[in-house]
Amino acid sequence: MNSLIISNVSKTYPNGVQALNDVSLTISKGMFGLLGPNGAGKSTLMRTIATLQDVDTGSIHFGKIDVLKEKDTVRKLLGYLPQEFGVYPKTSAEMLLHHFAVLKGIQNRIERKEIVEALLQKTNLYEHRSKKLGTYSGGMKQRFGIAQALLANPKLIIVDEPTAGLDPAERNRFYNLLSELGEEAIVILSTHIVDDVKELCTDMAIINQGQVLLKGNPVKAIEGLEGNIYRKAIDKSEIRAHKQAYTVIAERFLLGSPIIHILSKNNPGNGFEAIPTALEDVYFSHIFGGISTISKR
Amino acid sequence: MFLEIFKFELKYRARRADTYIYFAILFLYSIIAVDVIYGDALGPLHRNAPLVIARTMGITSAFFMMIISMIMGVAALRDFDHRMDALMFVLPIKKRDYLFGRFLGSFVVLLLVFIGLPLGLILGNFMPWHEVGMTLNFNLWAYIQPFLSFVVPTLFFGGAIFFVSGALSRRLMVVYVQGVFFLMLYIIGLQLLQRSDMHIFASLLDPFTFQTIAVDTRYWSVEERNSLLIGLEGVLLYNRLIWMGIGAIVLWIGYVRFSFKTKRIKTLKKFVRSNAIGVIERVPLPSSVTTYTTLPILWKHTWFYFKSILKEAPYWAIVGCAMAILLISSINLDTAFGVDSYPTTYIILGELIENTILFFVLIIVFYSGELVWKERDTKLANIYDTLPISDLVRLTSKLAAVILSFTVLIVGMILAGVLFQTINGYYTYELDVYFSGFFLEIYPFLLLFTALCFFFQVLLNHKFLAHLVVLIFTGFATIGLQVLGYDHGLYVLGGMNMGTYSDMNGYGHFLTPFLWFKTYWMAIASLIFLFAILLSVRGTDARFIQRWKESRRRLTKPLLRFGIGAIAIWLLSGSYIFYNTNVLNDYTLSETDELYQADYEKTLKAFEYMPQPKIVAVHMKVDLFPSELRYTATGRYILTNPHDSPIADMHIQKLPSANVTLDYVDFTGNFKVDSTYANLGHVIYTLDKPLQPGDSLKMEFKQRYTTTGFTEGPETHMAYNGTFFDNFHFPSLGYFEDIELAVHETRVKYGLGPKVRRPKIDDQIALKEGKSAGDGEEVDFEMVLSTEADQMAIAPGNLEKDWMENDRHYFQYKMNTPMSNFYSIVSARYESVKEQWISPSEPDSTPVSLEIYYHKGHEYNLDRMMLGMRRSLDYYSTQFSPYPYNNMRIMEVPSYKKRAQAFPNTIPFSESIGFIMDIDDKDDVDMVYYITAHETAHQWWGHQINPAHVQGMGMISESLAQYSAIMALEQQYSKEASASALKLHLERYLSGRSQETVQEMPLSLVESGQQYIHYGKGLVNLYAFKDYVSEDSLNIALKRFITDWNSFTGVKKLQTDAYPTTRNLLRYFKEVTPDSLQYVIPDLFESITFHESSMIAVSYEQLDSNKYQVYLEFEVAKTKLDSLGKEHPSAINDWIDVGIYGQDPNQPIYLKKHRITNEQNGLKLIVNETPTAAGIDPLHLLIDRDGKNNVLPVQKKE
Repeated sequence: MNSLIISNVSKTYPNGVQALNDVSLTISKGMFGLLGPNGAGKSTLMRTIATLQDVDTGSIHFGKIDVLKEKDTVRKLLGYLPQEFGVYPKTSAEMLLHHFAVLKGIQNRIERKEIVEALLQKTNLYEHRSKKLGTYSGGMKQRFGIAQALLANPKLIIVDEPTAGLDPAERNRFYNLLSELGEEAIVILSTHIVDDVKELCTDMAIINQGQVLLKGNPVKAIEGLEGNIYRKAIDKSEIRAHKQAYTVIAERFLLGSPIIHILSKNNPGNGFEAIPTALEDVYFSHIFGGISTISKR
Repeated sequence: MFLEIFKFELKYRARRADTYIYFAILFLYSIIAVDVIYGDALGPLHRNAPLVIARTMGITSAFFMMIISMIMGVAALRDFDHRMDALMFVLPIKKRDYLFGRFLGSFVVLLLVFIGLPLGLILGNFMPWHEVGMTLNFNLWAYIQPFLSFVVPTLFFGGAIFFVSGALSRRLMVVYVQGVFFLMLYIIGLQLLQRSDMHIFASLLDPFTFQTIAVDTRYWSVEERNSLLIGLEGVLLYNRLIWMGIGAIVLWIGYVRFSFKTKRIKTLKKFVRSNAIGVIERVPLPSSVTTYTTLPILWKHTWFYFKSILKEAPYWAIVGCAMAILLISSINLDTAFGVDSYPTTYIILGELIENTILFFVLIIVFYSGELVWKERDTKLANIYDTLPISDLVRLTSKLAAVILSFTVLIVGMILAGVLFQTINGYYTYELDVYFSGFFLEIYPFLLLFTALCFFFQVLLNHKFLAHLVVLIFTGFATIGLQVLGYDHGLYVLGGMNMGTYSDMNGYGHFLTPFLWFKTYWMAIASLIFLFAILLSVRGTDARFIQRWKESRRRLTKPLLRFGIGAIAIWLLSGSYIFYNTNVLNDYTLSETDELYQADYEKTLKAFEYMPQPKIVAVHMKVDLFPSELRYTATGRYILTNPHDSPIADMHIQKLPSANVTLDYVDFTGNFKVDSTYANLGHVIYTLDKPLQPGDSLKMEFKQRYTTTGFTEGPETHMAYNGTFFDNFHFPSLGYFEDIELAVHETRVKYGLGPKVRRPKIDDQIALKEGKSAGDGEEVDFEMVLSTEADQMAIAPGNLEKDWMENDRHYFQYKMNTPMSNFYSIVSARYESVKEQWISPSEPDSTPVSLEIYYHKGHEYNLDRMMLGMRRSLDYYSTQFSPYPYNNMRIMEVPSYKKRAQAFPNTIPFSESIGFIMDIDDKDDVDMVYYITAHETAHQWWGHQINPAHVQGMGMISESLAQYSAIMALEQQYSKEASASALKLHLERYLSGRSQETVQEMPLSLVESGQQYIHYGKGLVNLYAFKDYVSEDSLNIALKRFITDWNSFTGVKKLQTDAYPTTRNLLRYFKEVTPDSLQYVIPDLFESITFHESSMIAVSYEQLDSNKYQVYLEFEVAKTKLDSLGKEHPSAINDWIDVGIYGQDPNQPIYLKKHRITNEQNGLKLIVNETPTAAGIDPLHLLIDRDGKNNVLPVQKKE
């Protein structure tokens, strides 16, 4: 199985926003999580791999295929579920899936029927296969999206923020589906939800402002920060002072009063208690704690 | 709240580039609008005459209806499109404020955008390319007034309708389809205008008023056209009120029906209950084999898009409109003479295409836009763009789907055509003609246009802008270039049209060049489309520069090969065309032709009246080779010197045509050749021994007409089947006036003075010339024709002999008597019918053979033609003089010329006018009979009487032929038939005079180019004259005229070398006119006189059981035009008909001429039937611009 090698990719939009800044990643078979806040450059990277966009510098290779040049070859291996997409509202799921199947090169009629039916079953849309897509709910539409992405045995599957707008139950089931795919292909999942990655991915990268802040196995990432995360419940009025004194990586409310997480090599005392590191803490410490940026600089 | 919404709308629009682009487009277009719309058709109108401004505004606002829809349609629609509806509609605003705020805000923007129209027009006046003197003094009000009265109402109702349809349907396509309805109304209006009784209705219907204005001003003189503003009154006012009312009603409906609901209500109803993803089972996905062969994918993809178009309601709306147009306006088979043609396939085809071509354009423009944007509009693009299909397949399948979608329309139209023919009892369907008409003649252009639409969609990457730009570009690259005088098919978009189809000749020799041009343009279309493929947007970065960079990578080997192939075909076919049109043949821009004409006149005009000998005998041998489009003619003229002095210089003029070569010219004796003017086709041969007065000599020549390769705009004289040309092809003597430039503006451009349209009636030199303008008027004629074995070749004269030799058919013609120097040569594969006619006044004379040569299948009207010849020969030979020839022939010729023409004893008759007319004896005038009678009459007026080549010439040849024809018509048909013929001709005169470019002349001084006078007014006034002096008296006058002035035997003619003029004619008229009526001669013939007669009131009372007293009250006004075209009142002392009708509206129970001396008149008359209507000049014998008020129904007196 080939891996996807992204080397030194940079992209600046005409309006001056640098979406990708010297991004290098190597992605192998299995689920790969791309974690980052909104606007981090995840979608830009995904779209670039999905042949929708070019970069300014750098290269992307999938095995021997130059992704940026041999777009047509990549497209034959690709399954892509964009963050946002529409459908022809007056077309049925079955019909549009058939259409995509043809366009993906499944010419044999019987084969096409088989795969379309199997996908509709798998995404549990079979019952509604002849309904117009315009009448689908958000979750159903999302499932339709994954169904089309799975047509024609893709070797490279890119799913961009697939769980946005899905309820928790739907989300779980969705991930089960995805994880199944990771056994056969490279699945790149971009998300800003830490749990998604924790539950699914064997490999991951955190990016922010176009830069890769961390890459590696989620478990190892957690291990790396083990013992460096502390927690404290404080009063609202203390927030500012604590932010100045500590590297606060997260704040949230529990029963109406703020709880902060900080990043610290040593036990800071002052009422902080050590807690086991969660992936979330890893994420926040990279985004807000400035671990990698600091170390880089 | 209203104010805030209104202000926000203005601010929003002010920040959008669209607004300024629309303004710029309107403004820039308006600068050249007058030139585009009028081109050379302005004539004597100034380019800033109020009428021109008003109509240009009407047409331009119609053309830019699209801008109205783009600005107004989106005003409410954009909230839905941008998914703002949910935010907007929860705000605490009132529906009224929202709707009207948006409407008014957009409407103000619309007005501001359309200010570009008058501004552009004003600026257009000051453009440097206009000739001095083409513009009137600037008058700002002439721009403001029509803008306010015609354009603003259009903007209002158009805006209201587009706004409301956008707000209610929430779909832009629906907004567009509204535009289609306007188009439909416009086309229906145009159709209705061809029927004179529908003028008012059509005027009210026209949403843009430019037809309304045309109808309103149709009888205006040039003077009025150039000076008067178009007042907002009468029909125009009602039209505007109706349309504003419609706009207001639509706004109100919109207000009532609109509701603050998000999404499209339709789909809301049917949401399915979402199910969960269910238990996850590990369903193993079957692995699938993928192949990427292009063709099956392309086909499936095309079919998918095609089906998606077929699901579109707007598509069916457009198709429906196109069909409705055919249904509503029916197919117009009307010929110029108010009679229907048989629904032959080619006519039907022309009508189908003409009525629906705009719908094709719409489908192509809209659906190429829709399909290019389909994935992006539905946000499916980011999936679709990653699918493993090539760029070629992506765009080609969309192109193919658009092509399929209009092909469906074509098939529908063919069915409609066949249905129409069936309903009309015509069963010769000629599917091949349908097929070639659509798929050969217009399909290539549609394909090219489709490719262009895709190209602009891709290039501009802005759907609506691309719609506009492609229309403007196409307009410019076709009509625009031609208007500017650049007309070569190598650069005029789409190339040449096929040329007229003829049942006789099919597509003839037009086909080969047509196919070459289309090959050339199809190669260009392929290249354009290739660019579209390479530049098409795929992925998220739509910047042009990015796509340009990307295009190199996209140019795959197959595309490259395709491109190289297309370039090769393009260059090869282009070179071949160029070789044919510009190397083998001369292609000249119209400007080059003008230059030649101007040069000719400037250089050679001095020779115009130089004494030249006259041709007195023509002996010619012409070998025709129709399938090679060539002939060879060897001829011998006998020339005589009729002048008092010897002539040494023979000025021989060759026909200025590149096809014609004059191989040699030879004279008896020795001569020198002076080729100074050979570049103008004019060579002077100086005889060593000058030709003495009264002496004759032989001139021999050989001339060849050849066709090599093909030309841009092919000649039609030689045809595979249906060759027709006349003696103007052969060398002539002296200056050839016909070459002179005729259009005044063009003459000014080349520094030439006004054209003399006819020499003055007392021009002593011109009096000595007749129809042939100095070449010799009376000749002995002999001709041997040869043609291909299966054709017949026909010239004037008796057929002395015909034989076959070397597989060619020979015909020898010789005229039994001297004839006019005017002869035709015709050759085609003919069927024929022959009958004999014996003069009723000379029962012992030799029978005359009446012959019709026609194209097989065109038998419909042979009987009518035969009858027409027979009856008119009867009438003319008894009333005027004997028929001088032994036979009389009508020959059908192809529809390239749409008229019949009379040569001595031969009448070439175009297939399109007489042979396929479908005359309904109940409703129609038998125009076949009438035209036959008219042409037959020229055997007297033209070929016996040869009018002098001076003013009034047309009255003698044409008006007298018209009079003769209507009398012949009355021999066979009722007075009602002649009444409707008269009505048609009165209309021809009245509308013709409004197009007059120089000066309207009285009938007796009519000049060349004034057909409306000598055909139209000539018929009406001679008929009126007949009514005054009686048929017998007028015919006696004509008989005397012919006895005295017959070219060959006339008592007076033999004593003079002058030819007769209208002065001579009117002398005979005066002789037969009683003193009391002498005034009608100046009124009818020597001046331009109008009567305005109108009934004011009429009532009756019953005196007795069958005695009724009728009280009439009426007005009569009489005016005359002075030589400057100004109208002056004239004293009335006229005999005018007063008529009273009973039960039969066609048969008056009382009709007498009364002497009218006052403007206001009252009369008491007694009739013995119940009167129903009464009128003054009820038969419309006098020229009256408003004939509708001449008759009123009679009221019973209380």
